[in-house]
Amino acid sequence: MLTRKALVLSLATTFAWMACTIVIAQEGGGPRKTPIAGCPPVSRDFLPCAKAKAAAFKPARNPDGTPNMNGAWNPATANGSQNIEDFPGDAFLNPQITLIVDPPDGKVPYLPQWANKRQDNWDHYIDPLGTCYLTGVPRQVFAPRGIQIIQAPNVFAFVGEFAHQYRTIPTDDSPHIGDSIRLFMGDARGHWEGNTLVVDTTNLTDRTWLSISGHFHSDALHVTERFTLVDADTILYETTLTDPKVYRQPWTMAMPLVRFEKGHEVWEEPCFESDHDLPYLLREHKLWIGLNPPN
Amino acid sequence: MDRSQSSKLKADLPAFALALRWVRRGLGGGGKVRLYDRLGRLTLTVVALLVAAALPASAQSATAARGGLPRMWDGKPDLNGVWQALTTANFDLQDHSAGLGVPAGQGVVEGNDIPYQPWALTKKQENFRDRAKADPEEKCFLLGVPRTMYAPYPFQIIHSPGYIAVFSEYAHTTRSIFMNSEHPPGPIEWFMGDSRGRWEGDTLVVDVKYFTDQTWLDRAGNFHSEDLHVVERYTMTTPDHIQYEATLEDPKVFTRPWKISLVLYRRKERNVRVLEYECYAYAEQEQARRGELGPK
Repeated sequence: MLTRKALVLSLATTFAWMACTIVIAQEGGGPRKTPIAGCPPVSRDFLPCAKAKAAAFKPARNPDGTPNMNGAWNPATANGSQNIEDFPGDAFLNPQITLIVDPPDGKVPYLPQWANKRQDNWDHYIDPLGTCYLTGVPRQVFAPRGIQIIQAPNVFAFVGEFAHQYRTIPTDDSPHIGDSIRLFMGDARGHWEGNTLVVDTTNLTDRTWLSISGHFHSDALHVTERFTLVDADTILYETTLTDPKVYRQPWTMAMPLVRFEKGHEVWEEPCFESDHDLPYLLREHKLWIGLNPPN
Repeated sequence: MDRSQSSKLKADLPAFALALRWVRRGLGGGGKVRLYDRLGRLTLTVVALLVAAALPASAQSATAARGGLPRMWDGKPDLNGVWQALTTANFDLQDHSAGLGVPAGQGVVEGNDIPYQPWALTKKQENFRDRAKADPEEKCFLLGVPRTMYAPYPFQIIHSPGYIAVFSEYAHTTRSIFMNSEHPPGPIEWFMGDSRGRWEGDTLVVDVKYFTDQTWLDRAGNFHSEDLHVVERYTMTTPDHIQYEATLEDPKVFTRPWKISLVLYRRKERNVRVLEYECYAYAEQEQARRGELGPK
C-alpha cells in the first residue's frame, strides 16, 4: 500500500543516496560526527565554537563591501528537515540531534494547549512539502538539497531547489508590506550588523511546517535569522521563532551551512508539475490547510 | 534511460514520482556534469583573463560610462529590479481581435507568422479548441520560456555577475541563468529549460534548451516540442525599459526559426515587490474545502 509513510521512507533512502554523491557523508545513517569548520557539528556545541571563529574571520567581500556569501549551500546536519528535535530514528525518519539551542532542553516550547498537536499532525496530515507547497520560513534554509545565495546591490536572495522556491530580501531599509498580505514565504527585510546578515520575516501564514515530523506555527510567526561566515566554506545560521499563539517563548535553532563542491548548481525540480501521488497520500492523511482551516 | 522510458516510469509509478526525481538529481550523471562544468569554467576563466588583459584600461572605463544606464559591479547594465511585460502576448502571440475575456491585441511575432509544419498547425488548432482545459496555465504548471517573460505577472531579476535569477510571481517560478558556462550534457527535460547567459556588449544573451513538450507559448494554443531551443536577448534601452527578443527554433514543429520582440517595463511603485500566486495550492485547498479532494 502506498502511504505517506512509504513515501517518506523512500525519500529518506534517497537522502542517504544523495548524501553519498555530495560531500557530506552520513556516518552509518546517524547524525554527522565529523567536525565542520573545526567545530563539533551538533548545534549546541557548534554555535559557541562557530561564533568564536567567525569573530576572527575576515571574509572575502563583494564590491559593495558586504561579505561574499554567493554560492550553493548545504544544511549538512538538518537531514532534509525530517526533524528538528532529538529523535532516535525509526522506520520512517532518520535519527536527529536537536537543532534547537534555546531553550536548553532542545525542544519546541509549545503552549500547553498545543502539546499534542505535532503528533496529531504526523498521524493525520500530509507534510506541506509532500504536496509541493512552498517551504515557508525558516524551513527554506534547511529543506532538502540546500539553497543558492545570490547577492546584488541592496538585495540578498535565495533559490531553494526543492519545488523551485525563492525568497528575496531587500537590504535597503525599506519597510515591510501591509500586514493583511499573507505569503507562504513571508515578507523578508534584511540589514547587516558587522559581518552578519540579519533577516526579519513577517506576513507569514499557518500553511507551512518546520519539519516532516509535523512541527508547526501559526500565522503570528515572526522569524529572525542571522547568517555569518565562519570560514570561506561555512555559514553559521541562527534563527529565532516568535509566535505567541503557539509558543511559550521565542526559541532558537542554530546549524552550519556548508558550501557545496565547486561547480554545484541548484537545478529545477518541477515538483507539483510531475506529482501524481496526492490521491494516494489522501488515503490515510489529510491536506494541511492551516491551523484553523476555514469551513 | 531515454525520455520516453523516463516519462513512462513517471506515469506507472506515481507514488514514487517524487523519489524518482530526487534519485535522478542525485545519481543522474551528476559526477560527470560536475567534472565537465569545472573544465568548462576553467577554460572560460582563462579566456576571460586573457581578453581582459588584452583590453586597454581606457576601453574598459569607457564601457562603464556609456549609455546613461545603471551599471552593475562589472560594468554591465544593471538589470536588478521588478519588471513586467504589458502586452496581450499571453493571450495570443499573434495579432488577434477581442473575444469574451480576451482583449484585442497587436502581436509580438515578427511578421506575425508562426511557421508551423502542416501537422503542427492542425495541432495548434486543436489546442485552441481545447484551451480552456488543455492550457498548462489552467493546470497551474510552470509556464516555460519565453512565456514566463510575458505572462501577466511581475518578476524580479536578481543580477549578480556570475548568476542571474528571474523570480516570477506566478507559482514561484524560478529561472537560474548561469553565466559563462556550458549546458550540462543532455537530454534533460525541464519546464524552464537550462539557461546559460553571456554578454555581447551591453546585451545579455541567454541560450535556453532542454525543455519539456508540456508547456505552451500562450493561451491560444501555440506550442513547441521538447526540442525547442530559445535564444533570448535582453537590451536595456533606458533605466526603466528592456527590449526583449527571443528566437525560437524547433525542427520538430516549425519550418524555420522565428522571433518575438516586446518591451519589459520596470515597476516603479513605491516599495513594490513580487508577491505570490500559489495557483495549485489554492486550487487544491478549495477542492479540499468542498470535500472534492479525497482518495480515488
